Amino acid sequence: MAKIELQNIAHSYNPQSAEQIYALNPFNMTWEDGGRYAILGPSGCGKTTMLNIMSGIVQPSEGNLLFDGVDVTKLSTSERNIAQVFQFPVIYGTMSVEQNLAFPLVCRNYEKPAIDAKVNEVAEALGLQELLTKSASRLTADQKQLISLGRGLVRDDVAAVLMDEPLTVIDPDLKFRLRRQLKEINQKYRSTLIYVTHDQNEAMTFAENVIVMDAGRIVQVGTPKELFERPKTTFVGYFIGAPAMNFFRCERDGDYSLRFGGNTITTQTRLTELSASQLKLGIRSEYIKIVDTIGQNTIPARVKRVEDLGNHKLVSAVSNDLDIKVKVHRDTAIPAEQVHLDLPAENCCVYADEILVQN
Amino acid sequence: MNFKHKYLFLLPGLLVLLAILIFPIGFTVRLSLSSWDSFYPALDFIGIENYVRLFTDDARFWEAFGRLSLLSVTTVFLQYVIGFGLALIVWKEIAFQRFFRVLFLIPMMTTPVIMTVIWRTFFHESLGPVNDILSHFNLAPLWLSSETLSKFTVMIVEVWQWTPFMFLLLLAGLLSLPKEPFLAASIDGAGPIRTFVYVTFPLMAPISIGAIIIRLIEASKIMDTVYVLTSGGPGTATETSSFYIFIKGLREFQFGYSAALSLTYLIIMIISFTIIAKILVKLMVRGN
Repeated sequence: MAKIELQNIAHSYNPQSAEQIYALNPFNMTWEDGGRYAILGPSGCGKTTMLNIMSGIVQPSEGNLLFDGVDVTKLSTSERNIAQVFQFPVIYGTMSVEQNLAFPLVCRNYEKPAIDAKVNEVAEALGLQELLTKSASRLTADQKQLISLGRGLVRDDVAAVLMDEPLTVIDPDLKFRLRRQLKEINQKYRSTLIYVTHDQNEAMTFAENVIVMDAGRIVQVGTPKELFERPKTTFVGYFIGAPAMNFFRCERDGDYSLRFGGNTITTQTRLTELSASQLKLGIRSEYIKIVDTIGQNTIPARVKRVEDLGNHKLVSAVSNDLDIKVKVHRDTAIPAEQVHLDLPAENCCVYADEILVQN
Repeated sequence: MNFKHKYLFLLPGLLVLLAILIFPIGFTVRLSLSSWDSFYPALDFIGIENYVRLFTDDARFWEAFGRLSLLSVTTVFLQYVIGFGLALIVWKEIAFQRFFRVLFLIPMMTTPVIMTVIWRTFFHESLGPVNDILSHFNLAPLWLSSETLSKFTVMIVEVWQWTPFMFLLLLAGLLSLPKEPFLAASIDGAGPIRTFVYVTFPLMAPISIGAIIIRLIEASKIMDTVYVLTSGGPGTATETSSFYIFIKGLREFQFGYSAALSLTYLIIMIISFTIIAKILVKLMVRGN
């Protein structure tokens, strides 16, 4: 495995034009050796382009790609020593599972004993020993996807395993199992796994670090906890979490206070030198509490609707024409109409022109 | 609800079907049980006498059938191999790709009978340009009057005429293939031969089977090429089943007997194509 560096990488589909339209705007990034990453974003945000640049399927119009310090930008896919798992399982249908796993080594002229040893090791790690002699085309979609992954793992020279929405065709119950297996594989082989998805649950449960993209730009890189608690932009706040983060337009009302909808809320963000045209307060529905008494950071609200979502309830409330979502435990008693909502200062994020104010 | 009135709506279609399909087949069956010919043009009933004659006293039909099998299987195989090769060439980005795609389709756009007349002129043993060129090497093959070579000539014309059809179907198939298996093979380090054997060919198997069966059905009806090029000759060297049925029916006017020949031929073909399709699936769609 290798450390992967993307230096000023960008991709435009009209590089000769004076006004270039970027599918991927210039950016720098380093993928640490053995890391588990997820690239998350809506359809068309450039995540697959980024993956294809790393695998060599797409040549970037700008910048350099380095594997362990070696420039591989101009190298072909087969010369880059990467493995890729596609959205739909790719197996060699005329071969057995064993032959499928051995194929990359056969193509590289490995000796038979070395091939057998590696195939058996990977088959054991992926739980495919019982299926080795079976025809690959007869397996289920998740087993086929494991074979695709296995073909990447049998090679010792693989710099990274790239996965492009690999669980799209997998049943929901098997997705969980497969994700766990991927994590175990990462821990066992210390392989750099880069996982592209538009499903935030997949990204958050799989990766150590998540790269959130929007419209060809990287908007935030962080751990799932950071993305959830401190989204760097309002887009991340909307995109991560279900329901999306609550955002309220507001005005500065002191060094640490904001005013919105007739309410004053104290935050832990210093707002003294802020000169933004538009301010927003963001808070996750999980952090808002329904309280009986009026406090420093409470606001009055009217309960509009309560939805039972199984393990929790989603309360839709209105405060001075502002819609607020509150997520509470399913056993929490919800007052009939008028409530007070507590917005803890430590969970309040302030956004100036859609960007998180950090100090 | 009562849906009996639906039959009223089906009736026009059923009547057309009856007129154009069921009636001709039914009439042919009835005709095959008669001795209707130019001397006795009547729908009498002679039982299975025509069929007994076919199976016991007509070696010429079976020889024609053997010849047809040889011609159709060989030409379709060649069409498949050449068509696949050409499709693979213009599938990738090459210079003048569009020009070649159209060029390879030209033979299929020409009228078979007219092109066969041109081929006959090419291969004319004393006046044709082919032997004119070969005469410089002291060669003068009997393209049309040698028992062996005349079959070969028919094959050349058939392959030339119909390879574009195979090319078209296979190119359409190649263009519709997903790109991921090819990327995966490239990532796995497979070269062009391994990629063809393990990716392209297996993925193309269903399309290939369809194309081969369509061409086999067409090739088994070969008539115009033989009629114009050799008229079944020399002797019966290039006579195929359909040409033999044509001779019996429309030259000798043995309508009853030719109906029996047609039905027998039809049944043999249905059985043959069912078996061939199964064999092709077994051979080409390995692993499934």
